[in-house]
Amino acid sequence: MSTRSETIIETHQLVKSFGGVQATDKVDFALKEGELRCVIGPNGAGKSTFFKLLTGQIIPTSGKILFAGQDVTGLPSHKIARLGVGIKNQKPDVFDGLLVRENLWLAAQFAHDKAGAEHQVDKVIDRLQLGSLAHRLVGELAHGQRQWVEIGMVMAREPRLILLDEPSAGMSQDERVRTADLLKELNRTTTIVVVEHDMQFIKRIADIVTVFHRGAILREAHVDVVLKDPEVRNVYLGRTEVV
Amino acid sequence: MLGYLFRDFRRPASERPSIVWWVFVALLAATLVYLPHQLGLAGLMDLSVIFVLALLALSMSFLWGYIGMLSFGQTVFFGMGGYVYAVAAMNWGTTTLPFLLGILLPMAFAVLLGFFMIYGRLSDIYFSVMTLVLTLILNKAMRATSGSQFVVGDVRLNGQNGIPGVPPLQVPWNPTVTLFIDHVYYLSGAILILVYVGLRLLLTTPFGRIMVGVRENEKRIELLGYNSRRYKLVAFVLSGGLAGLSGTLFAIWGNFVAPEMFGLGRAAEVIIWVIVGGKATLIGPIVGVGLIQYLTTWLGMQGVGQVTLILGMILIIFVLLFKEGLVPTVGNLLVRVLGVKSNDAAKKRDHK
Repeated sequence: MSTRSETIIETHQLVKSFGGVQATDKVDFALKEGELRCVIGPNGAGKSTFFKLLTGQIIPTSGKILFAGQDVTGLPSHKIARLGVGIKNQKPDVFDGLLVRENLWLAAQFAHDKAGAEHQVDKVIDRLQLGSLAHRLVGELAHGQRQWVEIGMVMAREPRLILLDEPSAGMSQDERVRTADLLKELNRTTTIVVVEHDMQFIKRIADIVTVFHRGAILREAHVDVVLKDPEVRNVYLGRTEVV
Repeated sequence: MLGYLFRDFRRPASERPSIVWWVFVALLAATLVYLPHQLGLAGLMDLSVIFVLALLALSMSFLWGYIGMLSFGQTVFFGMGGYVYAVAAMNWGTTTLPFLLGILLPMAFAVLLGFFMIYGRLSDIYFSVMTLVLTLILNKAMRATSGSQFVVGDVRLNGQNGIPGVPPLQVPWNPTVTLFIDHVYYLSGAILILVYVGLRLLLTTPFGRIMVGVRENEKRIELLGYNSRRYKLVAFVLSGGLAGLSGTLFAIWGNFVAPEMFGLGRAAEVIIWVIVGGKATLIGPIVGVGLIQYLTTWLGMQGVGQVTLILGMILIIFVLLFKEGLVPTVGNLLVRVLGVKSNDAAKKRDHK
């Protein structure tokens, strides 16, 4: 069992090429257990590709990925998930034809026995205030609600590491505040990496921010330092005022 | 009652069936026992083959409707089951072990075939094409066995003439007693009801619920930690066993097997049954078989030569106008007309 000061996930010289384009370019990344890290960068910077590499959705061209010290490079998604990695993808990746409750149950069932799974589903529904939606089809929910369902699915499995790709996209301001509060609460027991564009959201939750640019890490520092960095301001959205 | 029953057919598969559904199953069983008093032997034979072929339809709809794998070649296992039973029973003079082999060998073949196709990450369309091609190959191969060199033990395969005189099933604990037409009717009817109930209950188990998850979003299932390929393989093997069971019973019912069991005509019929009945429910394909078989017999009796053409037209009409199939369409109508409180989730699910 690792302690909160141990590195939970790290990559060494991680490269993913699509044809001639390098979506990630020799990325060296490390995250200590217990951290809540934000990853920012312009569109096409390689953030989502990086998440897909970490979760086995795509296989790296070269380089290495270690989870809790174990080499997981090239392992299939389900094996990485079993080690304790949960992900919410950029677009809601849910079971549209099933009820909200069924979606959460499929997530909870993997990590719990029969009674435990039902209890876990109730807990997540209660925590995310999804009670009124529990018996509705996920496919008929609004975008923001589907995001909540997917976040709920990740929570229901209680993974050691949670990767969230734009969790507040399509949410109202109130929902964004709720999501930020939820992530801070989850971070008491779980390590979290969040890809986000909303700077207010990032400032609300993050200490250390990693900036991706053209598939590589451009900066990695405290949020206040990063947001004042002229090069970051220059590359990120191509403007001088990041906030 | 009828409205509530149809509403029950459309319940989420993960939910346990209601008391109305259990009453429906009990009524089916009672009807099964009652009908021989009303029908002659010819009627029983007609009903028996509907029961037998309904198992084949269920094997396809279970795979297609609940885990999202469209196998055009369930006839591979159907034909295999029939031939295995015929050859083994004629060689050994006993029928219990051949009956079991008629189920187990198709399952073993499904393990092998499924392993290469599913673990080889064959895409959905190639999976469908591969199964279709395989059944055509087996059909062709069996047709080419008319020479005297094609003998298994003492049994000649006879090419396109098939193997006549397949022995009737013996009572396992008393092999001197063999099953007659009415016994085959009871056996196939009882097996159909048991399989129907078994599959319905299987869908409420964690395995069944994960299967439906694979159908809905295989990537998400993997990201939750489930090995989707394993679930697909198990479902494929189960459905292969079911089709093998159907083929074995078909051989027992007709005392005959022939390469047509693997044929394109039979493979297309399975698709028509499932599409006409509706794959969103388990009862749909059973109704589809009953309806199409009855129609085929009736058209034949009226002297209509182009039965296949008419079946093709029925398929087109259903694909274009009643995409959900007969049972969900009639169910929606009844629920609306009878004013039964509807389950919106189930209705939307049918439209998928």
